[in-house]
Amino acid sequence: MLVRMKKFILAVSSIALLSTTVTAQNVEWKDDGSVLLKLGEAYNNTVIKTTRQEMGSEFGPGKKPFKDVTISVTVNGAGPKGGISGPLHQFRPIWEELSGGKLNIVELPFAEHYTKMMLDLRNGTGQYDAFMVGAFWYGDIIPSGYAYQIDELMASGKYPKWTYDDMPPSLKTLHTWGGKGYGVLNDGDGQVLYYRSDVLNDPTHKTAFKKEYGYDLPVPPKTWQQVLDISKYFNGKNWDANDADPDSGTVLHLKVGEQGHYHFQSLSASFVMNPGDKVTRTKNVYWFDPENMKPLINSPGHVKALNFLQDLHKTGPSAQVGWSLGEAWDYFLRGKAVFVFSWGDVGALCQDTSRSKIKGKCAGAMMPSSNEYYDFEKKEFVKLDKPRQVGNTTGGSWHGVISNFSGNPEAVYSLLSLMAIRPVSKLMSTVGWDGVDPGFSYQFLEADGGSAKIEDYVAAGWDANDAATYTKAYRDVFYAPTMLTYLRIPGSFEYWDILDKNLSATMSGGKAAQKALDDTAAAWEGVTDRIGRDKQKADYQAAIGYAP
Amino acid sequence: MRWTGNIRFLFLFPAVVWVLAFTVFPLGYSLYLAFFKIEQKIEVKREKVPIVDEQGKVILDDQGQARTKNVVIKQETNVATFIGAENFKRLISDPQVKEAVLVTLLFVSFAVPLELIFGFLLAILFNQHIFGRPLLRSIMILPIFATPLAVGYTFFTIFYEVGGPLAWTGIPFLSNPSGALFSVILVDIWQWTPFCFLVFLAALQSVPDELYEAAHVDGASRLAMLTQVMLPLLKPTILIVLLLRLAEALKFFDIPFSMTGGGPGVATQPFSLLAFRTGLRFFDLGYASAMAYALLAATMVVIMLFFRRLRESYD
Repeated sequence: MLVRMKKFILAVSSIALLSTTVTAQNVEWKDDGSVLLKLGEAYNNTVIKTTRQEMGSEFGPGKKPFKDVTISVTVNGAGPKGGISGPLHQFRPIWEELSGGKLNIVELPFAEHYTKMMLDLRNGTGQYDAFMVGAFWYGDIIPSGYAYQIDELMASGKYPKWTYDDMPPSLKTLHTWGGKGYGVLNDGDGQVLYYRSDVLNDPTHKTAFKKEYGYDLPVPPKTWQQVLDISKYFNGKNWDANDADPDSGTVLHLKVGEQGHYHFQSLSASFVMNPGDKVTRTKNVYWFDPENMKPLINSPGHVKALNFLQDLHKTGPSAQVGWSLGEAWDYFLRGKAVFVFSWGDVGALCQDTSRSKIKGKCAGAMMPSSNEYYDFEKKEFVKLDKPRQVGNTTGGSWHGVISNFSGNPEAVYSLLSLMAIRPVSKLMSTVGWDGVDPGFSYQFLEADGGSAKIEDYVAAGWDANDAATYTKAYRDVFYAPTMLTYLRIPGSFEYWDILDKNLSATMSGGKAAQKALDDTAAAWEGVTDRIGRDKQKADYQAAIGYAP
Repeated sequence: MRWTGNIRFLFLFPAVVWVLAFTVFPLGYSLYLAFFKIEQKIEVKREKVPIVDEQGKVILDDQGQARTKNVVIKQETNVATFIGAENFKRLISDPQVKEAVLVTLLFVSFAVPLELIFGFLLAILFNQHIFGRPLLRSIMILPIFATPLAVGYTFFTIFYEVGGPLAWTGIPFLSNPSGALFSVILVDIWQWTPFCFLVFLAALQSVPDELYEAAHVDGASRLAMLTQVMLPLLKPTILIVLLLRLAEALKFFDIPFSMTGGGPGVATQPFSLLAFRTGLRFFDLGYASAMAYALLAATMVVIMLFFRRLRESYD
């Protein structure tokens, strides 16, 4: 009896041990040199195939290079299946198995992330090893020496391999400073126009639109003025069969303190940006005069763009003044608006039928152009014969930067670079919920100069037409000959916050466009003086590539 | 029992440390920040040192090399420059401050009187014999116990204009500047009227019935009883409640922070929220300290005026 009992206990223990081993196995090292990274349910148990070479020399079967090391990474709080934070949660077991270390994910509300990060860095406490930052924070963290430079780690070959060469120049700039690498590839942010391909191609609407506006309904629209006409035409009509309520033209996310000002940046770019081969005092500038740091934000081009945004806002639900990203996106995903211009998440979320009613009807296009722009040299508006679409990298392009106070930069880098290798990055960009948007060469289709195939997207559950227009839109927006310049100087967050408040006041009817932008300019002068005009001028010139 | 000897200092010690560390030091340091501009520089150097095990032996990696860890050496240099009353001068000319002061004053002048009036009316109602009074009274005071931040988020969902429970009203609770300020005031009234009600009710219940009866015998009308018996007796209580609510309302923060984020625009951004953003969002700590001191001064002036009035009413 006793012997039987012992055998039973032994058998149960063996099964328990075996099951523990099986559940802990998130990485499989194959004899043929391939490596399988097994993701969890959130990524539909996808298995990513990579190679030993791509994984770098530090990781290997049985190796635990960071045994007993604990690292902490901060990220905008969105949970285990939320934007940007989700992938960290999903890759945590894989990295912990590979490294032997422990990863603490510190989720912070968007509004507090910057504050907590800066407190840690300014005090040099080193409580956090890395931060998933927005590129607009660079001006506050890099010149002050708070960030760890990663070029040596990249070149060592010890860690999972990725390269800045996969990035368009517009995105590469955002991950580097003074020619040195700081940011690890993760997310590519830029805004494109999403439109309802089914509705805009509907012959009944096409005929009615032409009758009302006197020209053919363009699909996709190339100018903002066309977008406004189309939005006006569709606003208030029940053109979508999902419910009995009237639908809208364009939906926006305009809540103060969040990301409403990005709408203005992307839209106003074509009203303001003066094209040219290089950056001069009047060409390729948007924020400040690079000679004296006088704000350009209240230029006639900016004012006209803001007036235009107000008109566009009227074709959407009035409540959107208080809407965050999620609310505006859901409105579009529920089939309630013809247009939204926003980040790559929308295109991927359209494919998620648990949230979207518009899979297969959700096309993407390069941001439209204004039919005129303000010439800073002539000081007058210039009419355009044909659209001149301006690209943008609007947003944060959220990615990891290692703290200079971290005691474990190698361990952190091994985590961040693991999430940056091609097959991982490719997978993440096809998934809607994870907040990782496309922007890198292997995510663009071959037809657009990339190396991805439409089949890759279809296999990931995408509608082929949605995927083709989406990836092309992103390719176009990141490689446009004229790009909206990105503000990366100390105090960027404050400059944007001031702009955001004034824009919100305008959109809610509290201030006229001119007044709001004049107030913005006046407040920006105060910030520039406080931080130091000469210092700001030098950083701004370096950031936009202006040579006096 | 009275403690004598040195042991009493031992018991006082924790409290003294607490007050010094968390009240006196922050007060003093923020005053210092308000008058000085601090420029900070940190230089970081690293040294790789071998990792050793419990026996003191160096741990080797699989290639026989010593495993190392980073030791981070920080060199911090702070340069403080005296800037006089520069930060306080900025307060006067800053349009953001003017807007925030206006929002604060509007909030205080609507929310506080209405809370007192509603609290008083409810107290009169509950001072009579009504059905289910104990239960209703308990329900009435529940909002006081809710966390203001949670209240803000809850009302954000209630006021949600598309699909929210009050969406049918068509009122722009959050998307219109006046509507948003109205909403913030409404939520504050919801939360703090019960406090006024509770104090007034306690005061009313302490008034002897004989006084009402005597007034009744003298032929006083209901209005006369209210204005000539009740109000004069409750005057000190009303002043105390008004004082407490004013002091609290002048630094209100949580509800606009969570419900509207201070928007749209700056329509619901009170002074304390502006100070918070200035200090902890943009790290303009000197200016934020000056703002905090200005708010403290304003609150103290209000409190002093009321204490004077209170003393007069007792005299």
